[in-house]
Amino acid sequence: MKSILLWPRKWIAAMITLIIATPLGILLVWDYGDAWGEWSGVGNWVPRHLWNAPFDGYDLSGWDSRLMASLGYIISAIVGVLAIAIVTYILYVAVARRENKGSSR
Amino acid sequence: MHIPDGYLGPATWIALFLVMLVIWFFAFRNANKNLGPRNVPMLSFMAALSFILMMFNLPIPDGTTAHMVGAVLIAIIVGPYGATIALSIALLIQALLFGDGGITAYGANVFNMGVVMPFTGILVYIAVRKALGESSSKKRAIAAFVAGYIGIVVAAFCAAVEFGIQPTIAPGYAPYGLGLAIPAMVGAHLLVGIAEGLTTAIVVYYLSENRVDLLNLPKFCPRWLERGMEKVPEKIPSGSSRGKMPTEAK
Repeated sequence: MKSILLWPRKWIAAMITLIIATPLGILLVWDYGDAWGEWSGVGNWVPRHLWNAPFDGYDLSGWDSRLMASLGYIISAIVGVLAIAIVTYILYVAVARRENKGSSR
Repeated sequence: MHIPDGYLGPATWIALFLVMLVIWFFAFRNANKNLGPRNVPMLSFMAALSFILMMFNLPIPDGTTAHMVGAVLIAIIVGPYGATIALSIALLIQALLFGDGGITAYGANVFNMGVVMPFTGILVYIAVRKALGESSSKKRAIAAFVAGYIGIVVAAFCAAVEFGIQPTIAPGYAPYGLGLAIPAMVGAHLLVGIAEGLTTAIVVYYLSENRVDLLNLPKFCPRWLERGMEKVPEKIPSGSSRGKMPTEAK
């Protein structure tokens, strides 16, 4: 079966390497605040979520230690990349179908 | 740089959604013309790459964090409209699955990171390359660094203006004015811009040395930008063509 990602092997390897490295993105800033202008950074005024995201904050609830948060972060990265792959695969199918129609005409 | 829900008053986020509707129309019309099954995988990889780059939060000395976006790199490889589409996908997934960036602010976020950033970046890239004269990998890398750096800073500036105007036009939303928002956002991204610029430059240098075909992929871009797009001469004969992306779109 063709890879759902339709990516060459080298790209997949590069992506996996990056995914494994993502915990750096939380470990480097463990004792830091958030990005300015994102959820909690603006003094005592806190904006409300309108939408409860299933993996809110790239975290699984209760996975709070550095190790578990890192695992949760990697899982989030995998979920995100797969979600993007699925969305773009739908795009691919639509484009490929159109192409076939065009050539059979 | 992801603006959450509740920061922007309705006037701002609705206006930015309307702006995005127009830009999406042009971007998808362009894609409809140029998109073939062969360039979807690259677009898909670029969206995923941007998503992952945005997970690398970097510490800023004032106690906040910021992250790279990758939009200028994407614009260099698949054109600025390609970046708009890739970022629209990445930001949608972030908003829906990870609560990163608001639903109401989705238009604003795509505007900043998926339009302002790649278009600024590609214009700077073209201008710097022209200013440097005859192209080489090194010069391309320098242009890419400057483009990535300026691209992310300008995008951050736009985000800062969007919420900096809220106290004036929509009390009850983001409480800090331009005087606070601009130094905080632009300041952080003046630093992260270095990482953004370096990443953009390293990838462009690598591609320019090893995979020129990937720099010559068909570009999704408006006609007024097409002339600035570089066709890099292919030095290496098709010796190592394993896993190579096709250069021809049609």
